[in-house]
Amino acid sequence: MPSGHLTILLVDDEVPIRRALRHALTPAALLGGDAEEVTVRVLEAGTAREGIDLAAAEQPALIVLDLGLPDQPGLDVCREIRRWSEAPILVLSARHQDTEKAALLDAGADDYMTKPFSTIELVARVRAQLRRARTAAPTAAATITFGEWTVDLQRRRIERAGLPVHFTPTEFALLRAFVLHPRQTLTHRQLFAAVWGNAEGDAPQYLRVYIGHLRRKLERDPVRPQFIHTESGVGYRFEPDGVRAA
Amino acid sequence: MKASSWRQWVLWLGVLCATAALLLLVRQRLDKAHFALVFLLVVLGSSAAGGRAIGLTVAGGAFLAFNYFFLPPYYTFIIADPFDWLVLVTFLATGIVAAQLLYRARRNTDAAVARAREVDRLATLGAETLAAPSAAAALDAIAEVIRSSLNAREVEFYRRAEAGGLHRTTRAGRANAASSPMTAWYGDRVRAAVVLEDGTTRMDPAGLVGLNVVMIDRALNVREQAVGVLRVAFATSTTLTADSARLLDALAYYAALGVERVRLEATAERAEAERRVESLRNALLMAVSHDLRTPLTTIKALAHEISATAPSSAARVIESEADRLDALVGDLLDLSRIQAGAVQPILAVNTVDELIGAALQRAHGAIGSRAVAVSLPDEMLIARFDLTQSLRILVNLLENAAKYSAANAGIEISACLDGDMVRLDVSDDGAGVRSGEEERIFEPFYRPADTPPDARGAGLGLSISRGLAEAQGGTLRYQARATGGATFVLKLPRAAGPTLRFL
Repeated sequence: MPSGHLTILLVDDEVPIRRALRHALTPAALLGGDAEEVTVRVLEAGTAREGIDLAAAEQPALIVLDLGLPDQPGLDVCREIRRWSEAPILVLSARHQDTEKAALLDAGADDYMTKPFSTIELVARVRAQLRRARTAAPTAAATITFGEWTVDLQRRRIERAGLPVHFTPTEFALLRAFVLHPRQTLTHRQLFAAVWGNAEGDAPQYLRVYIGHLRRKLERDPVRPQFIHTESGVGYRFEPDGVRAA
Repeated sequence: MKASSWRQWVLWLGVLCATAALLLLVRQRLDKAHFALVFLLVVLGSSAAGGRAIGLTVAGGAFLAFNYFFLPPYYTFIIADPFDWLVLVTFLATGIVAAQLLYRARRNTDAAVARAREVDRLATLGAETLAAPSAAAALDAIAEVIRSSLNAREVEFYRRAEAGGLHRTTRAGRANAASSPMTAWYGDRVRAAVVLEDGTTRMDPAGLVGLNVVMIDRALNVREQAVGVLRVAFATSTTLTADSARLLDALAYYAALGVERVRLEATAERAEAERRVESLRNALLMAVSHDLRTPLTTIKALAHEISATAPSSAARVIESEADRLDALVGDLLDLSRIQAGAVQPILAVNTVDELIGAALQRAHGAIGSRAVAVSLPDEMLIARFDLTQSLRILVNLLENAAKYSAANAGIEISACLDGDMVRLDVSDDGAGVRSGEEERIFEPFYRPADTPPDARGAGLGLSISRGLAEAQGGTLRYQARATGGATFVLKLPRAAGPTLRFL
């Protein structure tokens, strides 16, 4: 597990919010049991310019970015940082608009929270992003197991408790996109691209219907999904551990 | 025309006499065929330059002169040699045919020139109309051209108003007394109406040509749609020629396009104004949202910090009150959007499975440990709705069901097809809504008298929910349950799923 420094950058123009977050982002909160060997360094920026400069100079492991910065729209900041940094970006916004969420995720943000947020939840999301950044993403050659399911991506075989189950090509393409990006919100646009490429046609408007069919095959109870979670207005998130958010 | 025509007559009869005189001087040296050819030349010349009447007259004169002066015996109309008859008749026939042909060719040329001039005028007018800075200026130009080409006293255009009736947009020429109210209903039912010389009005005359008119009302149509009325008033009764009737038709089409352009410009201006109001309202709501939520974020973050360093119930209360305030801010913003008609649902093909699933997840805090029974048909229900907004409705219904029933009572959700709608019922085992209040509960800020004192909220949930349902083309109603509880029925427009070939 990691040792040494863990650098986190907070970009928000509200000083009290930065202070509260700085206090909440402790090694114990972020890393659990492995905390002793690690020191967490929290950098703070009050403007977009400062934030971009710090992100470039210090290469933080994660960036918390407020969208209501005085000098630049958050969407632009997000795009700019994403051009040269792989660090997870967690966005905070006081606007509660789905279109904005989707645009941000498409612009390279990794997660999104609306203000006012609960500090506990923010810390949990930061922790999840750090963990995801540490674990290597599954490759297309792998066989992936979750719950009772085994998915052999190369041979296109899907088994439930050892018995093969038939999936249509669209269902398989969707499942493939999900298992290759675990715990990550995939926007509708990203799913369109993964399943249908740039093809024009009738199919993409039925994305939610295909997800419905996939859930009815995959989940024990399609209205209480364990694996494929809805991020309303934005997209879907695959949870291989079968967590139930409720 | 008259003066020049006289001059032609004098000229060509003079030429004929002079030719006869000249030929007389050299009569001994020439043959009969030579005389015939020279006279033919004169006949052709007169036909070409003077027209058919002059040509035929000159041909007749030449025939007589040829016979009298140049066919023996001279100075009589008697013909000695029977072959001379042949020469003479051939000459006459050639002359008449030539005069006729030339006349026809000339008439065609004249018509072509006139038509070209007309086309020219229309083209110029078309260019002017297109270049005119505003539709009103273009209409002024068209009205003036119609007035001058028809020699009318006055030309007016009326535009059909959205609310019905006609509005005058343009007037060229001497102002008239107040326009006849008859124009108000011309546009709809009648393509044209004319007031004749004797004061009678005739509807939809078969043709305007040949009528003695003092006023013409003509419907202006664009793509078979009546957009207005064109009125032409004459100072004295006027007979329309085929040319002017045709010109009027062509210009009326220009006028119709112009009138339509006036209408579109007005519509565009209104749409632009509405767009600005809309964007201002959105900017305002966004700013309010930001300015209210930023301090709430600070309050929550600080409360959390306090509870982390020195755990206290006070800090937790601050946090939950901040959440409540945030929910209230959200409700008020939503309500103002709904009441302003500014809710723009993002309609997409969605599944009811997903709607219910996401709602259960979002409302889990309110539902707590209650059992929620979900009954769905085997076939997946597909509808066209905005997922986020419908989610808000369903979460609100679930929270209400939890709020107004006993702590361990169950909640039921069922969904089914209902005609061209998908129907979702959320039922609880609470006390239900008192009769007479079934509609009042959807009013903003209304809270029933028996609301439990610990039930929180401003009474906005149901009115927001109904507003959101209706914005998506759906409905939200209350229905009493036979067992005493409450059922809320949400209906959303049904949609078709993908065809099998895409699965």
